[in-house]
Amino acid sequence: MKMLEILRRKTELREEIESHLRMATADRVARGESPVDARRAAVREFGNVPLVADVTRERWGWLRLERLAQDLRFALRQLRRTPAFTTTVLLTLALGIGANAAIFSLVNAVLLKNLPVSDPKRLVRLGDNSHDCCVGRNGTREEGAYSNFSTDTYVRLKQSLPEFEELAAMQAGWAYRPVIARRDGAQNEARSVTAEFVSGNYFATFGLRPGAGRLLIDADDLPGAPATAVMSYETWQHEFNGDTAIVGSTFWVNTKPLTVVGVAPRGFFGDRMAVTPPDFYLPIQTMASLANASYVNDPETNWLYIIGRVKPEVPPALLQEKVNAVLRQAFAMQRDFSTVNGKSFLARVHATLTPGGEGIQTMQEGYGFQLHLLMWIAGVVLLIACANIANLLLVRGMGRRTEMSVRLALGAMRGRIVRQLLTESILLASLGGLLGLALAYGGSRMLLVLAFPGAQNVPIEATPSLAVIGFAFALSVLTGILFGVAPAWISAQARPADALRSGTRTTVSGTSLLQRTLVVLQAALSLVLLVGAGLFSQSLGKLQNTDLRLDARNRYIVHINPQAAGYSGIQLEALYRTIEDRFHAVPGVVKVGISTYAPMEDNRWSNYIMVQRDPGAKGLAGFVRANADYFNSVGTKVVMGRGFDPRDTSNAPSVAVVNQAFQQKFFGGKNPIGQRIGFPDSPGDFEIVGVVDNTVYTDVHLKDDPMYFVPMMQRPASDKSPIERDISLYAGTIVLETAQPIDGMERIASKILPASTQI
Amino acid sequence: MATRSSYQNRIELLQGTLDMLILKTLQWGAQHGYGISQAIRVTSGEVLQVETGSLYPALHRLERQGWVTAEWKQSESNQRAKFYKITKLGKEQLASDYERWEKMVATIEAIMTSRRGVV
Repeated sequence: MKMLEILRRKTELREEIESHLRMATADRVARGESPVDARRAAVREFGNVPLVADVTRERWGWLRLERLAQDLRFALRQLRRTPAFTTTVLLTLALGIGANAAIFSLVNAVLLKNLPVSDPKRLVRLGDNSHDCCVGRNGTREEGAYSNFSTDTYVRLKQSLPEFEELAAMQAGWAYRPVIARRDGAQNEARSVTAEFVSGNYFATFGLRPGAGRLLIDADDLPGAPATAVMSYETWQHEFNGDTAIVGSTFWVNTKPLTVVGVAPRGFFGDRMAVTPPDFYLPIQTMASLANASYVNDPETNWLYIIGRVKPEVPPALLQEKVNAVLRQAFAMQRDFSTVNGKSFLARVHATLTPGGEGIQTMQEGYGFQLHLLMWIAGVVLLIACANIANLLLVRGMGRRTEMSVRLALGAMRGRIVRQLLTESILLASLGGLLGLALAYGGSRMLLVLAFPGAQNVPIEATPSLAVIGFAFALSVLTGILFGVAPAWISAQARPADALRSGTRTTVSGTSLLQRTLVVLQAALSLVLLVGAGLFSQSLGKLQNTDLRLDARNRYIVHINPQAAGYSGIQLEALYRTIEDRFHAVPGVVKVGISTYAPMEDNRWSNYIMVQRDPGAKGLAGFVRANADYFNSVGTKVVMGRGFDPRDTSNAPSVAVVNQAFQQKFFGGKNPIGQRIGFPDSPGDFEIVGVVDNTVYTDVHLKDDPMYFVPMMQRPASDKSPIERDISLYAGTIVLETAQPIDGMERIASKILPASTQI
Repeated sequence: MATRSSYQNRIELLQGTLDMLILKTLQWGAQHGYGISQAIRVTSGEVLQVETGSLYPALHRLERQGWVTAEWKQSESNQRAKFYKITKLGKEQLASDYERWEKMVATIEAIMTSRRGVV
């Protein structure tokens, strides 16, 4: 609107001046002058036409705007005239800024963001790490720090700590234990989904409002209460199209019915960042029946994380002391702490209070180091980019000194020249910044896809935040101004005549020092980056060339969950035999391995092990249960003694196979066959019958990890606890080795497996 | 060169008087820029020559102040030209300018004709 008005005024003024000149010419012609002379005289008399026009337009206050447009046009023309320079600067800027903004967006999303809950500052977590994961007994610990707790401990904490407005508990290891859910109705299919068991006040603690229906309340979490669940917003939208009939409908979870009472609020992905956020939130008390987990109400089994909302004005130090005191009371009742030895550990028991606003920081712990490293690398890249651009701008500025001198000599104002160059720099920097933002958006999306392959609802937004945009722009503009205007300023200070006379020699010494500094800086930073990149690619190469000591050819892995399917401990041996028989009946299947975990899965068990004849040899060792075919089916070589065979049933003497790392750690590399190992209070439980290669479990970084293997159903004689309580007997994977690739293995497996054991 | 010599004994306009002169000229009727400059020149007996470099900025300033309005019309010589017309506000401004001018002239007159030490 304003621009149009300016243009109109401008043409009008031109017309007005023209009509003035015509009238003056006409008067002179009337007085007898020739038309050509008259015109010339009229123009001369009028004076400097453009200047008059300028001064007149200034009366309207628009000249600044016009000059800016002029400067911009001129700057664009200048940049077009040097495409190589422009492209180099733009690409450098885009790369430097883009990489930083992308990585900062990710860091911001993963490391710095609070959960989308009300007043996250008042949330406090009991415990500080996620190594205490999933399910396990307390055990006495040297350092005495605990982060997950039994249901009993949770209830006791909740009752004895009025400092908390609400204290909620949540399942520590839900990510590893999917459930099978099916909406009521004949045509609906059962699907493996993620579910998290949480206390009734879970949503109240986080201060959330339902997306639909209602959220869980304490009454849902009472023993004997009707089974209820809350569905996640994403699942509601993606799987059920936001159908409001979901609220109040019946679902079959692990073959047991429950009512979905509501939907979690939009944007809430649970209490921690996870690759696959929970689809359902279920009350803790339904776990015993839904997941067949006997440990829910076992006072000795820890499986819950605890986060609470502290009442305002509770001093943290006091709260910490009180939490520890209650914990010690709770732990004092437990088996591990009632022995003389155990009591001595009690004084050290504590749970470090940490801010809970960011939730359980599993992912933050997992990715924190890498993200910080990325951030440093990106920072160095940006510095190099800035030095590079500064250099280019300086050289360009020096190259244009003659041009500047000529313009000065022609009467251009210094301020005007500096302003022109400033416009040019800012334009360049802004363009670079915009490109960088585009790159940042694409880049953070790409990083997310790399970090969470196949996840359909990633709990992280790829959009760069306002802070990131501001940061990126400020940085690009600052670089542009600093290094674009410096040479202009220097040359504007020089006397044009001098500059013209001696070319670029007069002030060259001052700037070349700056230039040299920049080059040195650039080289130094590049070297740092190069060394980093070299080390990185070397370790990547090492990881890639790691011999995992397993054979992936013609192998299929089927995941099962007999525990969730409701199989009890005594039924398992028969179930495993059925599975073995049915798969062996499939043409082409060579080996059927059954185990708790297969190599390179993201979890496994771990126990404190002792050698019977050498009480000094003790420590943690990985633990996997496996059947007779297992080692062959994954391609693990038996290097000494024997593997398992079908005679290693629950009634046979308990045996174990250890890997070479175990042999090295516990026996100093000596022959371990015939030796007995076990837990500290029963060190003679298992006789070692074989040694296998160090196959990589859990993570490629754990390639030389001591491990021991035990037949699927063998329990040591000393273990008098009921078989129902031993959840290590539940297999998680079936590894099939086939003679040749078999199409449709998934379909075959689902037909063969007893219904509801499959995942 | 002949045209130029006839303006040689022109005098510089006093600061701020150009607006008043333009407004006064416009009191006789709407006029374009060239007409205004000619009118001032003729009326002043060829003594005052308004510089175009100050005339047009002044006209646009007056227009912005709302003391004159402008309109495109055919001139007497059948040229399209921008005619300026004094507004009511402009007339008031002219009156107050004139009053101030008279006061100033009287004051200057008093100073110039007084005798030293008489006060």
